[in-house]
Amino acid sequence: MKKNAKKKLVVYGAGAIGRGYLPWVFDPEVYDYFYVENNLRLAARLRERKQFTTHKTVNGRYLSKIVGIAECFESGQEAEVLGKADLVVTAVGPRNMLPLAERLRPVRAPIICCENDASIPSLMNAATGNDNFVFAIPDVITSNSAPPELLAQDDLSVVTEDGVCFIDKKVEGVAASGRFVDTLELNTQWLAKLYIHNTPHCIAAYLGALIGVRYLHEALKNKNAAEIVSGAMAEMEQMLMKRYRLEEGFVRWYGHKEIQRFRNDLLFDPIHRVAREPFRKLAQNDRLIGAAQQCLGAGIIPSNLLLGIMAAFCYQDGNDPDHNIKYLINALRPYDFLRIIIRLNPHEALFALLHAEWNNNLQILKELKDE
Amino acid sequence: MNRESRLETAIRAAVAAGDILIRHYHEKVDATCKESLRDIVTEIDRMAESCVIDIIRGARSDESIITEERGSVSGSGENGFWLVDALDGTVNFVNHIPFFCVSIAYIEDRQPVLGAVYNPMANDLYYGAEGIGVFRNQSPIKVRNRSGSESLFAVAFSGKNYDPERRKDEFGIMADINDSSRGCLRTGSAAMNLAFLAEGRLGGCWGKANKFWDIAAGLLLVRLAGASLRYSCVDTEKMLVSYAASNPFAWDFLNDRVGAIL
Repeated sequence: MKKNAKKKLVVYGAGAIGRGYLPWVFDPEVYDYFYVENNLRLAARLRERKQFTTHKTVNGRYLSKIVGIAECFESGQEAEVLGKADLVVTAVGPRNMLPLAERLRPVRAPIICCENDASIPSLMNAATGNDNFVFAIPDVITSNSAPPELLAQDDLSVVTEDGVCFIDKKVEGVAASGRFVDTLELNTQWLAKLYIHNTPHCIAAYLGALIGVRYLHEALKNKNAAEIVSGAMAEMEQMLMKRYRLEEGFVRWYGHKEIQRFRNDLLFDPIHRVAREPFRKLAQNDRLIGAAQQCLGAGIIPSNLLLGIMAAFCYQDGNDPDHNIKYLINALRPYDFLRIIIRLNPHEALFALLHAEWNNNLQILKELKDE
Repeated sequence: MNRESRLETAIRAAVAAGDILIRHYHEKVDATCKESLRDIVTEIDRMAESCVIDIIRGARSDESIITEERGSVSGSGENGFWLVDALDGTVNFVNHIPFFCVSIAYIEDRQPVLGAVYNPMANDLYYGAEGIGVFRNQSPIKVRNRSGSESLFAVAFSGKNYDPERRKDEFGIMADINDSSRGCLRTGSAAMNLAFLAEGRLGGCWGKANKFWDIAAGLLLVRLAGASLRYSCVDTEKMLVSYAASNPFAWDFLNDRVGAIL
């Protein structure tokens, strides 16, 4: 295809998914890549280099692709190209979507939201008065960094796994190597992603943080941590079968696949990336508290998940947007932390379980490091 | 003693005192007048205050504390001190109006550097510190930019330094603001006014001759949340402070009206 015949793709977010995975889904031979990035240093570096390398792990080795970029804008400077875009993809994190509503309102091209929250497209459609936001699930783990030897070749290198991108069938005409699926299939994939991937994935990260390791695959090398992660995954699988009637074969296959991914030692997925924003993950309907409520609603006592929730409470990273969690967990009695901060009702089962097991679970987590 | 651990102490003490307020909220409580009909104290104020003092003393026994009811609880620590109002909004409290809070600040070089304001009826914990940020419960907060005419304001008149003639002028200003904006409330809690401004619920607030312990934590919250702010000490001995604070878009509106009396 001639260069001037390329379509224009505007990607919000040049992080893990935006830089690492999207070029494998939306072919840079078909699309000119225009990034919009809030991180000014990263944006400047991308503008300067005009390219980066993404490495896909396939059968234990890296498959590499150099991606040229047409431009990388700082946030707010993209209006002109946005008006001419053939496709917009967002991968900025759910919390950062609503502030984009004003800018995306005039866009008539499809806007594919690769966000870890299925409610984002409807939220954005409501916020903009449009109906061109659709959901996509990149069923993949992508690091926002790379091992030192790859960074030495290209400091903008990122590593991704080989995976499938499930895209809402409403935008089937879009040139992409993902799988276009109907709402029912998208919902099934989202449930599996949210509970069998996201929940144990972030638990592994919080356990890794407590152990003191840097990358996710290192956390899984701790036998006790691995048991908690596998246990939480089993609880999620059981919940999905009981509550959502997902087929056993599917959830078992999915869980097995995810554990292998977590252990992928080519990925170098930083703990702080997966663990970031613990309060978002501890929200009422999200992967930790929400998942625990789902389990209890299905008659399952999620003991391993409760340990994961406790590990999230203990996450202390001064650079995290939710770094205030550490002052709150240090300052407040468990009763008050659960009631005021996590917003659980003292009369509900999850509150009672977390409160009753507080010291016991803390002790188990402390002992992880001693393995 | 670092700022982080002091902030944790402030949070712990604010919530513990708030629990005491909640436990006694539905009781009939006797109030004693202090300097004016609206300046009252109850046994519950004292109980909550003792709780705060015990927690601060337990965590950092050498630090000075100044409280509304007990006055100075001296220590021999660093150059800072704690300022505590264990129940801001006592008149609301005794009338079973669910709008009151605990306010705790730490002062260094005459400026609040960290603070916590806890509204136990709503389970809303506001807290912040220089270099750390400002939050309500889980989330960072900031003022919401709105013009003066589109903003809701609140005022806190103190019973201290009461002068009937000046009070007429102050009510005149309140009426002017009330009629030129979304309104000007008298909520009965200066600390909550400031917390609401920090969170973006109110567009601005002001106060005349308020006790510094009522507002120290709130002043810090609004400053960290991006408010335009002006305050001055009107009586050093009694620690009376007048102030105006608003979101930056409403600042000229507010300052033009109240600047002359601050």
